[in-house]
Amino acid sequence: MIQKKVCMLGAYAVGKTSLVSRFVKSLFSDKYHTTVGVKVDKKIVAVGEEQVNLLLWDIYGEDDFQKLRTSYLRGSSGYVLAVDGTRRETLEKAVILQSRAHEMLAGVPFVLMLNKADLVEKWEVDDSAVEDLVAQGWPTFRTSAKTGEGVEEAFLALARRMAGA
Amino acid sequence: MDAFLRKDNGGLEPPSAATEGQDPIGELRRLLFVPEHAQVAKLQERLDDPEIHAEDVSQVLPEAIAIRATKDRELTRAMLPTVEEAILSSVRRDPHVLVDALFPVMGPAIRKAISSALESMIESLNETLERSFTVQGLKWRWEAFRTGRPLPQVILLRTLVYRVEQVFLIHRRTGLLLQHVSSTSAGVQDADMVSGMLTAIRDFVQDSFGGNREESLDSFKVGELTIRIEQGPEAVLAAVVRGTPPPELSAVLAEAIETIHLEQAEALVKFEGDATPFERARPRLEACLKTQQRSRAERAPGAKTRRARAFLRASLVVLLIGVAVWSFFALQRGRRWGAYLERLSAEPGIAVTDSGRRNGRYYVTGLRDPLAADPAALLDSSKLGKGSVAAEWKPYQSLDSELVAARARRVLQPPGTVTLTAANGVLAARGSAPHRWIVEARSLSRAFAGVTRFDDSGLTDTDLAGIESLRKEIESQPITFDLASAELRPRDAGRLGELSRDLSRLAEAAGRVGRTVRVEVVGRGDSTGTEEVNRTISRLRAQRVASLLAAGDTRGVLFVPRGAGSSEPLRREMTDEDREINRSVTLSIGITPAPAREPSTQ
Repeated sequence: MIQKKVCMLGAYAVGKTSLVSRFVKSLFSDKYHTTVGVKVDKKIVAVGEEQVNLLLWDIYGEDDFQKLRTSYLRGSSGYVLAVDGTRRETLEKAVILQSRAHEMLAGVPFVLMLNKADLVEKWEVDDSAVEDLVAQGWPTFRTSAKTGEGVEEAFLALARRMAGA
Repeated sequence: MDAFLRKDNGGLEPPSAATEGQDPIGELRRLLFVPEHAQVAKLQERLDDPEIHAEDVSQVLPEAIAIRATKDRELTRAMLPTVEEAILSSVRRDPHVLVDALFPVMGPAIRKAISSALESMIESLNETLERSFTVQGLKWRWEAFRTGRPLPQVILLRTLVYRVEQVFLIHRRTGLLLQHVSSTSAGVQDADMVSGMLTAIRDFVQDSFGGNREESLDSFKVGELTIRIEQGPEAVLAAVVRGTPPPELSAVLAEAIETIHLEQAEALVKFEGDATPFERARPRLEACLKTQQRSRAERAPGAKTRRARAFLRASLVVLLIGVAVWSFFALQRGRRWGAYLERLSAEPGIAVTDSGRRNGRYYVTGLRDPLAADPAALLDSSKLGKGSVAAEWKPYQSLDSELVAARARRVLQPPGTVTLTAANGVLAARGSAPHRWIVEARSLSRAFAGVTRFDDSGLTDTDLAGIESLRKEIESQPITFDLASAELRPRDAGRLGELSRDLSRLAEAAGRVGRTVRVEVVGRGDSTGTEEVNRTISRLRAQRVASLLAAGDTRGVLFVPRGAGSSEPLRREMTDEDREINRSVTLSIGITPAPAREPSTQ
């Protein structure tokens, strides 16, 4: 089985933890987020015949109180940028995070998860802004930790890109 | 060349018009070498000027040092005295500078040293307390005495108990798990996630507290577990140790990680998530687990002693239980034996003369009346077990009351209505028995050993009693007559026959007990008429009845008729009925022993 280190990045409360708690295997308590600033979980996806074991480093969302520890990014084969679709600023934060990740992980594949896709009525993120990112080649997925929409696809897409398929 | 250059130095001045045309060779040389001359002059200047020289060296010094350092250790050696001297002079000049510089390092180092020293001290203290009064403790004391080492040191040496439970080989850059071995099948969490988290925590610690790349978390404790980390350039070895890991463990881990780097350098560098090549590293990791086995082997004597002690303890318990059970049964047997002997002694007709234990068996000897209880039957009820007692009994005749009575019973064979008891030489019979048995018993009892008297006062002679009741019945039946008549009424003829038969039975019964029957036939008259007439008529009546009875089957009965007149009335005459009763004949029966036929009469 191939193992890959994947970082989960995103602003505070974009629903990374919900994504993780529903779709991946967890061993450690959420306490690690606020103490160590990261929590490692795992998600197994099948890329063709091959099982890929994604070790998800769910990194505590950057906020006013805590800066992103870039050392956690080291050695990642891919990363997930999570955005809360109902909070416009989280998309902006994701763009910043992407650029910071890019400094350390140039050329490493990533996916953008526009989370909370189920809350359509509260949707704030501009379609145009998203389209811009898609045009820049950002693989973008509308996901919902609540309904499960798009989550598997997003992880699978990332795994495929990492595997170079 | 040197001379040439120096000589030419002056010639660097612009050529004078005077010399121009005179020295064409010089001119040519000048033309040819002017640029070189300038360069050489510059070089000379640089060589001569120490400032420029220093500037030059400073440009290449770091690179030069780096290059040399990779080649050999000469540089270090060369610099060592200078550095030492520098430090020394720094300390001499102002110690505070160095103290300030070292403070952040020394604080933690000292704390670490103290805490580890305290830790082992407490541990050894605990161990001391725990082992003080055990076999192991005494052994250690002996060893300390023998080797001259302090006891705590000996204890520390012998009790560094630890176990390497898991070893993780982690890719340093990605935190991905390359290989994992575990000495216990249980309690192994998802090693890949643990590996990731371990890396994250190390990163966190290093980011937060570590100064540079080389300072990293190499050990931390979680309850009883210590996580020891040994890091190499590409991979990290993390050992989860239960107990207190000895310093040697670090060496073992270091050796393992070095070997893995040596053997799989390329695989480590090129690692992209496929951990398959690191199956090869498994034996290396398992070797780290073996450390635990070696330590176990070191502990083995202790373990053996413990096992032996446990075995000894168990044996002792079993032995004690055995002894207790045996004692219980022995005690029980002893008690039963005592009770049996007591019962034998209390038993009439049995006299124990000797008893005891011989060759593991009880024995008893003595005298036994054949009529006494059977000792074997008593043994059965004593629960001692048939074969456990050897008995030897000699027969004798017991004068014990019960035995005397039993013997009497056996000889006299009394009827069921008789109870025979013996006490103080008196054999007493109670109840009722035929006359014949009573007579025989009186006679035989005199011959019984231990009997001085036969008491039959409580005994009813059934024969005599029968005679008596028959007599009373006969006597209670007066035969009445008509006024002034001595003739039997026709209805009384039958009654007379009955009386005759009763008398015959009475005579027979009396004869059986050696007695004779004499019947006085008393005739009476009522008070009417003269006494003389009455006497006559009464005599006639008596004679009449006597003759009729004597004519019946009444052999052996003597009838004596007597006329009583009206002098012995049966009733006071108030009515005709009273008078009729008084005009009658009654029988008065006397039963007397037949002379000289029965020696003893009562």
